[in-house]
Amino acid sequence: MPSPHSANTATGSSLPPKENAQFKRILKCYEQKQYKNGLKFAKQILTNPKFAEHGETLAMKGLTLNCLGRKDEAYDYVRRGLRNDLKSHVCWHVYGLLQRSDKKYDEAIKCYRNALKWDKENIQILRDLSLLQIQMRDLEGYKETRYQLFQLRPTQRASWIGFAMSYHLLNDYDMTLKILEEFRKTQQKAAYDYEHSELLLYQNMVIQESGDISGALEHLMKYEPQICDQAHFLTTKGSLLLKLDRAGEAKAIFEELIQRNPENHESYKFLEQASGADTPAKKLAIYVKYRGFYPKAQAPQRLPLNYAEGQEFRDLVEPYLKKALRKGVPPLFVDLKPLYKNPDNCAILEEICTTYLKHMRANGTFDGKTREPPTALLWLLYYLSQHYDYKSDYATALQLIDEAIAHTPTLIELFLHKGKIYKHIDNREEAAYWMDEAQVMDRADRYINCKSAKYLLRANQVKEAEEMCKWFTRGGVPAMESLNEMQCMWFQTECAGAFERLGKYGEALKKCIEVDRHFTEIIEDQFDFHTYCMRKLTLRSYVDLLRLEDVLRSHPFYEKAAFCAIRVYLRLFDKPITDDDKLNEIDTENMDPSELKKLRNKQKKAKRKAELEAQEMQQLQARKELHNKSQKKNDDELDAPQKDELYPDKLERPEDPLGEALKFLEPLQLLAADRLSTHVLAFEIYFRKRKPLLMLQSIKRALNTPNTPPNDPQLHSCVIRFQKFVDENRQSFPAPVSQVLDRETQSIFADKSAVQRNRDFLSANDQSLNHVAVGAEMSVVLDGSEASQKAALKLIGELERFKTGVDIKTCSDIFHKLEEGVYGSVGVAGLDGFRQSCAQQFPLTILFNPELKKQSKTTTTSADPNEPKSGDNSSHEVPDSEP
Amino acid sequence: MPDSSSSPSSTCTSPMAPGSAPAGPIDPRYSRIDLGDITQHNIKLLKKVNAVVFPVVYHAKFYTDVLEAGELAKLAFYNDIVVGAVCCRIDIEPATGLRKLYIMTLGCLAPYRRLGIGTAMLKHVMDYVERDGQFDGVFLHVQINNESAIQFYRKFGFDIVGTKEQYYSRIEPADAHVLEKRLTSQATTGGTPHPPPLVNGNNPKDDPDSHKTNNGHEREH
Repeated sequence: MPSPHSANTATGSSLPPKENAQFKRILKCYEQKQYKNGLKFAKQILTNPKFAEHGETLAMKGLTLNCLGRKDEAYDYVRRGLRNDLKSHVCWHVYGLLQRSDKKYDEAIKCYRNALKWDKENIQILRDLSLLQIQMRDLEGYKETRYQLFQLRPTQRASWIGFAMSYHLLNDYDMTLKILEEFRKTQQKAAYDYEHSELLLYQNMVIQESGDISGALEHLMKYEPQICDQAHFLTTKGSLLLKLDRAGEAKAIFEELIQRNPENHESYKFLEQASGADTPAKKLAIYVKYRGFYPKAQAPQRLPLNYAEGQEFRDLVEPYLKKALRKGVPPLFVDLKPLYKNPDNCAILEEICTTYLKHMRANGTFDGKTREPPTALLWLLYYLSQHYDYKSDYATALQLIDEAIAHTPTLIELFLHKGKIYKHIDNREEAAYWMDEAQVMDRADRYINCKSAKYLLRANQVKEAEEMCKWFTRGGVPAMESLNEMQCMWFQTECAGAFERLGKYGEALKKCIEVDRHFTEIIEDQFDFHTYCMRKLTLRSYVDLLRLEDVLRSHPFYEKAAFCAIRVYLRLFDKPITDDDKLNEIDTENMDPSELKKLRNKQKKAKRKAELEAQEMQQLQARKELHNKSQKKNDDELDAPQKDELYPDKLERPEDPLGEALKFLEPLQLLAADRLSTHVLAFEIYFRKRKPLLMLQSIKRALNTPNTPPNDPQLHSCVIRFQKFVDENRQSFPAPVSQVLDRETQSIFADKSAVQRNRDFLSANDQSLNHVAVGAEMSVVLDGSEASQKAALKLIGELERFKTGVDIKTCSDIFHKLEEGVYGSVGVAGLDGFRQSCAQQFPLTILFNPELKKQSKTTTTSADPNEPKSGDNSSHEVPDSEP
Repeated sequence: MPDSSSSPSSTCTSPMAPGSAPAGPIDPRYSRIDLGDITQHNIKLLKKVNAVVFPVVYHAKFYTDVLEAGELAKLAFYNDIVVGAVCCRIDIEPATGLRKLYIMTLGCLAPYRRLGIGTAMLKHVMDYVERDGQFDGVFLHVQINNESAIQFYRKFGFDIVGTKEQYYSRIEPADAHVLEKRLTSQATTGGTPHPPPLVNGNNPKDDPDSHKTNNGHEREH
């Protein structure tokens, strides 16, 4: 933490020499983190009745106390000190530091400004202020402060850099470049000076951003000898030449880059551009050439597959496949998967591989010629299984993977993939079982461990997942806590999802809020980089960092957590949790005595178990506190304020669930405005808040998101409900609202009634299950009569007639909606009928075929992960291998 | 399958492959054989191999011992995939005091036989024995009808030195040959079965029950 004074002589001025000396020692102690000693000196001054109310000493005492974790006292002392000496920059600075340590940056900025009133040229305060300003992105203020610092310390490198950068961040490129150029002139160049090179590249970046491409190229060429990062130099030079339409020169550059690294896909893309290869044939010609140059390189083998078609594709992919299968390249399918976008490629690959398989099974060759290693058959089976899994042909995929496992039961990838197939079938427990099988085969593999934990979470087995993670988390602390500490967000978002499905809404919210806090923390952590990057001159990366932090919450992890939290809050608004929910609703009166006895025993056991667990928790808690205490002792610099503990019970009973949901939504509206779900969820919130204009806003924004077709089912659902709401409540709107609505909805509603629009939607999209399911749901919303419900059920019941959308996810979503009563009581009654027609489509999915449950493998029974599963002992038939 | 309580014995399959003659040699670039250590992280792979290759469930003790066995227990990798394993222990014959290496298991998954993996494992064992220099012999048990296995071991200088009747409890034929390669001139015990049952470990005065609770194992075929 910075110190509140530094090069200033005015501190403690109102004290006589002896006390003044003591005061200086307080400052010194503070800097050296000898807080106890600091307090001692403060006491020596303050016990003298003459100076008992000495403002600066009181303030320093407060600041020292803050470092010892005594925050409340700290605030008391600092405020008292300030009251006693409002004209002291020290007191103001101290107050600012205290607020800063409390993350109240706006307040801290005000304090620093006050301090500067009394000591205009205090470098330390100006520096602290500039840090806060850049952190808070007060760019104008930052510019002014950097200007002052520059004037006060024109000889320091950081003054120049900060000054220039403050203009860059405001997009004032000219000024930035002028300052940088002046600064560069003052620099002495060493023979190999990485920092200077970085500075030049930063300067070049600014020139490029200003739009002066030829200027950037000129600058780059001028300083070529001083630039250390040659790869970056070449790439920049090449792409600048491309932008300047000097393709011939650019081509030479990218040829050189490929020579440096023939595996860099980016260089090839640039080379295509520079060579003017705008047709697949021209692009292919380039790769033919480079295959000759670098026969061992992978990139010129793989990249042309993206362009080839038909026979040409077949000719190229065959040697590629053979080589990979021989060698044993586990991610072969992942590598080729992008090519499946073209259905012809998919068919060709299937044909090639099934032919190989026939030969391999018969005589161990791909095509009757050379003998291949037995592992080639194994990898071929693995590849084909993934191929059929991709095509949703799960039965074939399973059959092939089982053959592969029988061939070589020691290859971990096979079990991973088997788990994945079951995941796609939506048998989550079975998926988790196979992932666990893979996991026990290599306990040292963290990837498989994490996968296994994730699959357990998908199967809603939170405890088991936590146990799984324990293999890799720090000992002594519960895994859940350790994972939070490490900001392990994939785990936390998956965990939130599991809790949501389990109806443990408080726990789910806790996880979502933890994720949100990580993002806050990452933004806080920026603070350290402001000084560090300036000092190290890694300015390009620093600017990238600032830009990244500006849009940090557009990250998928935040989105996932926010969506989950919003869904939960909506659920809690629709059906608030009452205290009765927790009570056991088992009707004991109508039970026969033996059943009742069993139940009582069960309850007793459960109670005992709960007590035991509570005890364990208590012990853990105690240990944790001890741990925290000892940490506090070691860690004198306790500058993070203790976060509010999150209590699930409290979280699931929010006073204003929609308000809480909005808090999660706002960053998304700002940073993920191009995603449909953002606006759909916004609509759901405002719909419940009964805010017609905001509903309209959400719908309009949703309509404007890229790649959203006007007939998107989610969007349709919003519009229909919006129209119904407007129709029903028109009378209650104030006149201006009505006017806006009338004007703005005209194009959306298109002069049709909601019923009519829904009917049109259904008939226009009657081949798609996704659309019909939503249309049917809306027809029930618009008309809840039994007849309407029956019609809706009939619409979705005949799965055979749909051309698209009949997949496991859509069907299980509909299944759950029927169950919840979204399609009315008729829907609930029709649940089993729907299940049966799903069962015909998806004979492997347990949800639709509950009788499969008994045969499926699950992890729930395995108590000790070290013990082999029952599956282990089942495979002891004598192999029929000997002649 | 429950554990059999038969006396400790070895289980060695033939590393030879079945079926038709190979169409030709496999390109050696794509046919790599390595031996690797058995650790607590990958021990499950050894269990998988044993479960498929031998019709016997080995006891937990077998696996904990293997973890301590160092060079005497190895996994065989073919193109980086575990396809076989060899596990040995050192035995002192209580009657004669001879120090011998006993191959408990040596086996390889069926699709990978006749590729030299068994040879690599046996060679590793013989190299170990030679480096050590203090062994009187190397021996193992083979089911009497397992011609290919017997042939395989003969190639390395093993001979049938005895036959144990009813050695296996649940597979037919139940008799096993004792194959041994003698390294020093030892007092011949002749073609009759070895006298007392072999005791696991170096110390013949071990808990006399140890071999009962131990890894009883059998041979296939």
